[in-house]
Amino acid sequence: MTRDKWGDVLAFVALTLGAVAMIGPFFWMISTSLKPMAEQFDMRLIPATLTTENYPKLFTIMPFHLMIWNSFKIAGISVIGQLLTCSMAAFIFAVVRFPGRNFLFVLLLLTLMVPGQITAIPQFIIFKWLGLYGSQAPLYAPAFLGGAFGTFLMRQYFQTIPIELAEAARIDGASLSRIFFTIYLPLSKPALAAFAIFAFLFSWNDLFTALIYLPSDPEKTTLTVGLALFQSQYGGQWTLMMAASLISVAPIIIAFFLAQRHFVEGISMSGFK
Amino acid sequence: MLAFLLPTLLGLILGTFGSIFATIGISLTDWDLLTPAIPAGISNYTDLPADRLFMKSLVNTLAFSALYVPLTIVVSLAVAMGMNRKLWGIGAFRVAYFLPTVSSPTAVGLLWTWIYAEDHGTLNAIITAMGGNPVSWLGPKMALYSVVAVNVWGAIGGGMIIFLAGLQAIPRDYYEVAKLDGATAWQRLRYVTLPALAPSIFFQAVLTTINAFQAFDYIYILTRIGNGNSTMPTLVFSIYRTGFRFFRMGDAAAQAVVLTAIIFVMTAVYFHLQKRWGEPA
Amino acid sequence: MKLLATTAFALALASSAQADTTITYALWGSPAEGAVWTKIATAFEVLHPDIKVNVEVADWDSYWEKLKVQVAGGTPPDVFAMDAPLFADWQSRNVLLDLKPYIDKDPAILDGVYPITLKAYNTGTGIFGLPRDFQTIVLYYNKDMFDAAGLAYPTDAWTYDDLRATAKKLTLDKNGDGTTDQWGFWDGGYDMEPFWGALVWAYGGDVVDPAAGKTLIASPEATAAFQLFDDMWLTDKSLPTEQQLAQFGYDGFLSGVSAMGMSGHWSVPEYSQVTFHWDVAPLPLGPKGRATSVNSAGFVVAKDSKNPDAAWEFVKYAFSDAGQTELAKIGLAIPVRKSVAESPAYLDQATKIDHSLFVKALDYAHLKPVFKGYEEWSSAVGDALNTVWSGENSLQDGLAAAVADGDLALAKNK
Repeated sequence: MTRDKWGDVLAFVALTLGAVAMIGPFFWMISTSLKPMAEQFDMRLIPATLTTENYPKLFTIMPFHLMIWNSFKIAGISVIGQLLTCSMAAFIFAVVRFPGRNFLFVLLLLTLMVPGQITAIPQFIIFKWLGLYGSQAPLYAPAFLGGAFGTFLMRQYFQTIPIELAEAARIDGASLSRIFFTIYLPLSKPALAAFAIFAFLFSWNDLFTALIYLPSDPEKTTLTVGLALFQSQYGGQWTLMMAASLISVAPIIIAFFLAQRHFVEGISMSGFK
Repeated sequence: MLAFLLPTLLGLILGTFGSIFATIGISLTDWDLLTPAIPAGISNYTDLPADRLFMKSLVNTLAFSALYVPLTIVVSLAVAMGMNRKLWGIGAFRVAYFLPTVSSPTAVGLLWTWIYAEDHGTLNAIITAMGGNPVSWLGPKMALYSVVAVNVWGAIGGGMIIFLAGLQAIPRDYYEVAKLDGATAWQRLRYVTLPALAPSIFFQAVLTTINAFQAFDYIYILTRIGNGNSTMPTLVFSIYRTGFRFFRMGDAAAQAVVLTAIIFVMTAVYFHLQKRWGEPA
Repeated sequence: MKLLATTAFALALASSAQADTTITYALWGSPAEGAVWTKIATAFEVLHPDIKVNVEVADWDSYWEKLKVQVAGGTPPDVFAMDAPLFADWQSRNVLLDLKPYIDKDPAILDGVYPITLKAYNTGTGIFGLPRDFQTIVLYYNKDMFDAAGLAYPTDAWTYDDLRATAKKLTLDKNGDGTTDQWGFWDGGYDMEPFWGALVWAYGGDVVDPAAGKTLIASPEATAAFQLFDDMWLTDKSLPTEQQLAQFGYDGFLSGVSAMGMSGHWSVPEYSQVTFHWDVAPLPLGPKGRATSVNSAGFVVAKDSKNPDAAWEFVKYAFSDAGQTELAKIGLAIPVRKSVAESPAYLDQATKIDHSLFVKALDYAHLKPVFKGYEEWSSAVGDALNTVWSGENSLQDGLAAAVADGDLALAKNK
């Protein structure tokens, strides 16, 4: 027990040192966002003149709140679609043996490896053909069609759950969906939480899709597109830039803080094996 | 079973035709985006070695990946193991390590240029205060290492999340048993934690490799020379410029196929390592 | 859900009752430019109640990405903004509508337009665009830094040697820590605009002959011009290096670390935000006189537009005195119509500098080259030149590489 205590102390000290390097830039962003423009290159961490004027100014330049709402809506829907469809497919890949399983899985991974720049135009043509151009659907509809990242992540996690559990349940006559919903999903909360964070992040940071498929007016477009436009006029005004950046990451940080608690709810798996 | 797999199969059909076949197909044509593509056989591939931007980008990307992939995996695994404790304020710690992952590269990139600056940069200030000579961090000799450091810094948070989730799947009694057997901390790591974490490590290795080969934003911000060029072009940068800026989509697609093939081979290697490693010693 | 659909249907009906035709005008720019264009569009809609104009504004990089996907995907915006040097890349691929039939019906609309701005869009076989506004390059200087050093402001008698000597005097280590913290001048060094193109012309050289597939910047005249640049940057160290610039967000003048810089009118709104005092002067004289570069942004109409007539009406309006007057108020560019460029709408802007200087610069301006593959050529030449400024190559080697790489890019885009 004492050795564990020492381990805790050591980990605490090491993590604290590391945390300084991780948080430092973030504090500096906050500090710059609270400076007047004349002092933007002043390297002091605590601003000589403290001002909050940059934040309200942002909203007079562009209705960021509308775009944040759009981003939030799209990211929220995407997370639901991804969690559901990817974990379902991952479950099949992890638990059921069927002909062509490996081939399909490799094909799936390949879609993750192809860089997106080339495929933008073919995909545009597909979406246009499907009649989805001009709506927000191209941003969240694909989330309901699975995805390599999430399927791969969840499959890896499902593989650590002893297969005997599923086999035993099958012998007792449980259907696949019952095994999925009552055994695999509840045991996979940490992985689902991790995946939810990533799915949210991918959607939240996506610039290209939003740019291509949405009209540019603030009622319809997302925060990433708005920020890029904002930068074209205020790129040299770092105090405003930092305020805008902070506003754009605040929702993810809150979402992360909520999700990360699931990493401590470690499930005791004793007696399974 | 089909119902579970149906969305993915539909997505896969779109993905296969929309991305894999599309990229291969385009790579066999000369296509300038705006007029119909002309069949070009494999000429786009045979032209690649003469394309200086591509060759330079390939070398840069390989060198970058060779450092970035192992560093990111090791550091984020270490951080995750430190975080996998019920310490006081652990939630705040996790948020702290997650911040670089979500910070905007444009905003944080400026700070890194200050840290790396030759005259008044933070790093050189520390070095000169200790009596050393200032270093040109973003100059030709050091730029690779400086850029890798920033990218690893930005990737730790993501890796940490994957490994934290993976660590939850290791039954506590494994450790209890190992401890009763008198295993040292190293032995517990080597024979309990790492093998149990193999699926997560495999996942992280594949994903980090993909990210390494598609790395763009921090590298671009730290090495750009205005006008959209960069002193350290990477493969996706080359693909984007060749295709979208220079109207040569066929050449760009051939580059994309090469990039995909490299990642694919790397993944196959990881897969074999994992299989061999997963077997009891 | 049903209610929503009914409402949407009702709205669609209502709007179609007002406007039979909807067209889209896409442009690169800033939120401020988007707002002015929405105003222009609204004024146009009052005159043409049957046409509705959607204004789509995006930042420079995003704009070209989106445009390429949309045009390639068969859904182009009806009217879109064009940067003159890139015009040939689009026109040669047959995606732009020839406006000559429309202009022939209404030839008076070209009266009073600066002729050099029309040149870029006239291919000889047709007129595939109209200029929207233009840019000439002038010298910006920080009056506070000149005052502090006790130096006289730049005049129109200045030569490039005066520029070099003054830049050197204004390069200072103000806090005495052994490193420079104020530079006399700044430039990126890769693109011909704003600096080295004009410099080469003022020394009697030329930049590129796209028809012959030749890059001309290694001629003796051009080499002499680049030698001055080389002396200023690498010998005198009067310019911050690219890495030093990065610390200040790239614009050395805006960030107040460089006493002089060259730029177009596009910098005026941004520079008006700074706290120091500044003014503008004509570019200096070279051995072969004075030169600057002129470049325009224009309107083009997509060949696949479903409403080319409505698109033309909108272009015509934005090109008219009324449209140009509104546009002048953005303060980013110079109107293409003499009547507007000489009116208070342009001359009496909020930023009190001599705005007529930019118009007078047309007298000695050279057109920034317009040819297919401009971007690839410019990128190849810029990369090679950068090896000179970073010290990897001598000036001679760098220029030779720029010519070789530039010619290769020209050949690829034949």
